[in-house]
Amino acid sequence: MIRWILQGILRDKNRSLFPFLVVTAGVALVVFTVGFMEGIFMGMIDSTANLDTGHLRLVNKPFYDEEHLNPMDRALTSQNEIHQWLRENSDPIIKWAPRIRWGAIADVPDENGETKSQTPIIGMALDLLSPDSREVDRLDLKGALVRGRLPQGPKEILLGYELARSLDVELDQTITLLGQTFDGGLATDNYKVVGLVRFGVFAMDKKMALIDLADAQDSFYMEDTVTDFLGFLPSHISYKEYKNFKIELQSRLNDLRLNPPKDWAKDDFPIVLSVLEQRNLDNMVEVFEMVKKIFVGIIVLLMVLVLWNAGLLNGIHRYGELGLLLAMGQTHWKLVWMLGVEAFSIGILGSLAGSLIGGGGVYYLQEVGINMGDTFAQTGIMMNDVMRGRVTAESFLLGVGPGIMASVLGSLFASVALFQRSEANLFRELEAG
Amino acid sequence: MNSIVSIEKVVKVYRVGSEDFTALHEISLEIEAGAFMSFVGPSGSGKTTLLNLIGGLDQPTSGSIFFKNVKLGELNRTALAEYRRKNLGFVFQTYNLLPVYSVYENILFPLLLDGNKESAVRQLVMDMVASVGLSDQIKKRPSQLSGGQCQRVAIARALVKKPALILADEPTANLDAENSYQILELMRELNKQFKAAFVFSTHDEKVTKYVTREVGLEDGRVCWDKRRNGFGSLE
Repeated sequence: MIRWILQGILRDKNRSLFPFLVVTAGVALVVFTVGFMEGIFMGMIDSTANLDTGHLRLVNKPFYDEEHLNPMDRALTSQNEIHQWLRENSDPIIKWAPRIRWGAIADVPDENGETKSQTPIIGMALDLLSPDSREVDRLDLKGALVRGRLPQGPKEILLGYELARSLDVELDQTITLLGQTFDGGLATDNYKVVGLVRFGVFAMDKKMALIDLADAQDSFYMEDTVTDFLGFLPSHISYKEYKNFKIELQSRLNDLRLNPPKDWAKDDFPIVLSVLEQRNLDNMVEVFEMVKKIFVGIIVLLMVLVLWNAGLLNGIHRYGELGLLLAMGQTHWKLVWMLGVEAFSIGILGSLAGSLIGGGGVYYLQEVGINMGDTFAQTGIMMNDVMRGRVTAESFLLGVGPGIMASVLGSLFASVALFQRSEANLFRELEAG
Repeated sequence: MNSIVSIEKVVKVYRVGSEDFTALHEISLEIEAGAFMSFVGPSGSGKTTLLNLIGGLDQPTSGSIFFKNVKLGELNRTALAEYRRKNLGFVFQTYNLLPVYSVYENILFPLLLDGNKESAVRQLVMDMVASVGLSDQIKKRPSQLSGGQCQRVAIARALVKKPALILADEPTANLDAENSYQILELMRELNKQFKAAFVFSTHDEKVTKYVTREVGLEDGRVCWDKRRNGFGSLE
């Protein structure tokens, strides 16, 4: 019987083409839009993670509580031991990278050695020189480099493009960093400006400087000490799963707290944070999820309304056929079931086509992207210039599930009219042709 | 002969606006198993109303209709649908074939409705197609057939599940004389072959030559009930 029904919808374009196109368009729209939204949102999360917070972050709580002050004396000592502990106690797909957040005053001298310009800067120290380090790729420093080159030796510094311009500093010029050492003393060290970078985030381009991790440890007297261990997850892991990784790691942290490295202070207390708990991203996630649900809800509602009307038109188009089936002894409920199977089949076919179209569009955006650099040039949003879609299972589920549901619901609503049809007039109606 | 349908003092009144219109006045009839009969009369005489009631598509205002001793008035909507599905075949003036399905599929359909699997009834359908002389047209759609061929398909569809009763409303009205005779001849042969009772509603005089019983209706009343044995005239 189901094969018979399928033959009917494939042969009779009048009963299947319009609903098929509606479902295809609706599902394509949902899959594409949700995939694009997910891509943008995940891109934003990834940018924040790569540049600042990691997807997971292990940090000393006393440091985190006063993070705005960059309290270097509350950084975590025994870097190598902790790094090893993280490798052994966290999911192997998490790649951990030690970093130091630092703050300093950058002093640019003139040709006489007098201060030409000076400004407070925020900095990140990361492993730029180890051959097996992935930090350069992670921050896409080669792509972000506007002038000069990446650091290749000690005491070389990358400056944000806008920062360099405001300081009026040139490549190969030496600047002095004045900061605080791990033990509270004054740190001064000279760095050679070797490259200017543009992150696409105005706030960072205006204030950010990058140096190698070992240089920072030397300049700020932080031997075997870092402020953060950032954990990076593969791109296919959804932000909804970050919490699980965090909980898993957190459950093992007690062991570390109970058996801490010997150099730790008594009140050192490492905590794990996910990217969503920082920079107000959790609120953005809530808004994003709500917008997504509203969007899908509206599309589904529109589809149901259109398909309901399509079902009514279909009922008129097939008035004779449905009447004949009733006369031949088909019950009303069986007819509704038949129309439901038709709608379900059309829903599946339309959803497949819509998924292919919408998914294809998202895949194109995932691979190629849209460059929105000019639009975001002056914003403080931590976001890549190139907006990319993301092909996710969720976007397909959000498209296919409601697509099929809308098709069946539309058909069922339209089928209500069948129950109002009296058999008593069937002979006359069928004789009318 | 044993009757399969008993009609007892059936009255059917329709409400037309604020007026009552009596379509049937205390009709009483017996329809025998294997009958080949017609209801004849002008438009509005009550022929189609009577077919409607026998077909379980409508209920009489008073009186009763029994099919094999089962009172149709006591059956609910679902049971009436099952009654039609199991016991009746319908043939219409305008054929009412499903346009997107082939000859084979149109004839197969009532069997699928009854819960049969295609593989189990394929031969039955093929035999039925052969019985109506359309074996070479089996894959064609209704739009590719002549009116006479369409009516043959409709007859095969009505007969394929071997019902006890075929209700045919003006089955020759859309056909030319030659096709009408061919169709009536075919139905008479199938009537003998399958032992199904054929009840026509018609005002086509050609039908009269074929039926063995003719019930004349006028203004909702039975005016005559003539029978014939063999090829003699109706008496």
